[in-house]
Amino acid sequence: MLVEMKDIVVDYGPVRAVNNVSIAIGPGEILGLLGENGAGKSTLMKVLAGVIPPTRGEVVLDGTPTTITNAKVASKSGIRFIHQELNLCTDLKVFENMFLGEELRRPTGLLDTKTMIARCREALGRVQADIDPEAIVADLQAAEKQLVECAKALLFDAELIIMDEPSTALTLGETENLLEVMRKLKAEGVSFIYISHKMPELFAICDRYYVLRDGALVAEGSFSDVDENSITELMIGRQLAHDAFDDHVDTSRPEILLRAENLSGPGFEDVSFELKAGQVLAVTGLQGSGRDQLADALFGAAPFDGTLTVKGRRVRSGTSIRAFMRRGVAMVPRMRKERGIHNDLSIMDNHNMAYLNARARTPWISRSGAAERYERQRKAMSIKAGNVANPITSLSGGNQQKVILGKWLEASADVLLLDNPTQGIDVGTKFEIYHLILGLAREEGDHRLQRGAARDRQGRRRLPRHVQGTRERGPGAQPDHREGLDVLLHRREPAGELTCRSSRLLRPPRPRRRCAGSRPAACSSSWSPSTASCCRSCSW
Amino acid sequence: MLVKLVTEYSFVLSFLLLVIIAAIVNHNFFSWANVSNIFIQSCTIGLIALGMSMVISAGQIDISVGSQVAFIGGFGVLVLNQTGSVLVMLLFCAITGILIGLLNGVLITKGRMPSIIATLATMAGLRSIINHFGSGGPFTVDRAFYDQFRQIAAGGVNLGAFTIPYFMIIFIVATIIFDVVMKRTRLGKHIYAVGSNEVSARLSGVNVDRVKTATFVITGLMCGIAALLYASRTTAVAASNAAVGFELDAIAAVAIGGTAMTGGRGKIFGTFLGVLMFSIIRNILTAADVSTFLTGAISAAIIIIAVLLQNFQNRRR
Repeated sequence: MLVEMKDIVVDYGPVRAVNNVSIAIGPGEILGLLGENGAGKSTLMKVLAGVIPPTRGEVVLDGTPTTITNAKVASKSGIRFIHQELNLCTDLKVFENMFLGEELRRPTGLLDTKTMIARCREALGRVQADIDPEAIVADLQAAEKQLVECAKALLFDAELIIMDEPSTALTLGETENLLEVMRKLKAEGVSFIYISHKMPELFAICDRYYVLRDGALVAEGSFSDVDENSITELMIGRQLAHDAFDDHVDTSRPEILLRAENLSGPGFEDVSFELKAGQVLAVTGLQGSGRDQLADALFGAAPFDGTLTVKGRRVRSGTSIRAFMRRGVAMVPRMRKERGIHNDLSIMDNHNMAYLNARARTPWISRSGAAERYERQRKAMSIKAGNVANPITSLSGGNQQKVILGKWLEASADVLLLDNPTQGIDVGTKFEIYHLILGLAREEGDHRLQRGAARDRQGRRRLPRHVQGTRERGPGAQPDHREGLDVLLHRREPAGELTCRSSRLLRPPRPRRRCAGSRPAACSSSWSPSTASCCRSCSW
Repeated sequence: MLVKLVTEYSFVLSFLLLVIIAAIVNHNFFSWANVSNIFIQSCTIGLIALGMSMVISAGQIDISVGSQVAFIGGFGVLVLNQTGSVLVMLLFCAITGILIGLLNGVLITKGRMPSIIATLATMAGLRSIINHFGSGGPFTVDRAFYDQFRQIAAGGVNLGAFTIPYFMIIFIVATIIFDVVMKRTRLGKHIYAVGSNEVSARLSGVNVDRVKTATFVITGLMCGIAALLYASRTTAVAASNAAVGFELDAIAAVAIGGTAMTGGRGKIFGTFLGVLMFSIIRNILTAADVSTFLTGAISAAIIIIAVLLQNFQNRRR
């Protein structure tokens, strides 16, 4: 089947998420769709899968313009979207999931369980998955769930399968297995659109690529003609990648504001670092590396073991977030829409929320005080907003984030945790925010802990080698993290000078078991980030 | 300004519309007797609806308010008959209300129960207990205190030509207090924040559990006061059918007042007008000779229409 998307435009309110993008994919082809988070990849694919209607443009299947109004129509047309967060009902059985909404029935109207199980088994066989159709989905591994989704697609004769970052939660071996299945299906004429940030996979499996940036198509071509460097440059944008951050951060002040010693919690283990006044420390790692949980723990939003000291005073796990705030810790949370803003509240109320909790002495709200604080931040960050009584959702993503940043600055925190602060923000504002962070770090008494996710690193040269080894994904997970970083960071040589020069490395996790190799003593001392193990014979 | 009137203050428009209809149907509508009567009818539901506004703004719901009024009212009358002091009764009602609200709040926050389930349980439980002690029958105020106690509902401040009923004063003062709390205090902002986005609120340092519990405690307190007023107006609290359906009326008033049923948005003034609208509708129905048995159906229709209108407005935004 030949699938074409022509001149697709998608507007989310005032924001243009996809701008005039045309792509085409033929039968038995695997297409790599690249771009940073927020570049419009998922939105474009949602159009194809009938999740959202395009504002303009059309989808043409085998030469016939088709309006895909919902997932069912897409499925009938042979298009299946496997979402990043798998859409499986975890309490149901495998075969029930696969036939969800399209259950087979006997003439009596009762479910034809027997046939469903048989067909389910057959489909699972095609993806080489050894899974019992009657197993409960909750009991499956992440990789198995992924395969169940693939099998489900095959069950309904999908000719085009869209995979949105399928390998995020998989180990290398599992990913390899998935790619193998894809190759086999490709030979049968099934085509794929593959969304991923991991270059090795893309180069291994995809034929052609399309690169999106800020909603627009910036490049297309064949993977055989490019290398990883040039692709990365295309994704980020050359001029911005080379935008120099020559701000110098003064790190001469010795005062330690935040000290973590052997912090452990759900998803991270044995993290130790010190944060001094005026420092910008980056903590990086891919999804599932424990970075999210670490950020939450540092703000008292998640439990932890170990010692955490803020400005010389120890804070214990279970201390309320408000107490953290009062000690001078602030956090701009990740996922602004879900965790940062209050949709129903006005710009002013959103902005005032942290001050109200951390600093206000009386329960009464001073409107003039709130207006004054807002005005100060609006000027400092050039927030573009109309009436402050309007709901915060009337602003663009970048301005929303500035309001949230201002909200925390007004709580006069000494340590600012920025959890993926540039998510879903246009490139211009993104760099504005970077400059703001650097400016703040230079100011008297301001010290920031910058915690960016993979996408926040463009423009920065040396990031700390990071990645809190977590064991939740098993031993295979670690090389994965490094790989993602290599691709996004180390393989490029941006001209920019950067911020994190004073950052400290997070210590790698200690081996849990003693090394099985011949020199056990070497394990604790010579952990190598490049091989993610302590010695060759050790495989933890 | 006009746009704001239509989108944000649409309840004012519906209120005016209703007043016009009422004035046409009932020629005495604007007479002082009728107006104060509307306020007297509104006051008990009104106090409860104010509390309910807070609960709903925090994204919760409390369907135990009717049973709370019957429970507190019933025992309150016993306390009055024992002690002969309205003040002691008021104290009893307030404290009992606070305790019931606390129970609701703790079940919901510490027990992690959905609010509708927790308050459904207390609704059934309280009603059953008061039924048991009253054997289903009424708790009647003793003859000895009857006249004095009755004055709370019947009396008022005399201003020559007018008598402003106490009920009217209580309702208006309570509305003003609630309005200030919701608009100008930390608690109010926290309530909206929790109702709008619990996760964001927590990450802004809001003690979500405490805020939720506070809304139920305040509603309990309002139920306690409402129970006393109810007892004064009826002079007898019938265990099995006192205050039945109050939860429905209170929720309906909040809904027509423009408070979002999903939480996060709403105005106390809207609830105030909502409660009055309710009484006016009854007023119209009485004038039009519609059976009182149909009031439940009217409440139901009002809730449905109000929420449908809200949804329609939200979709347009």
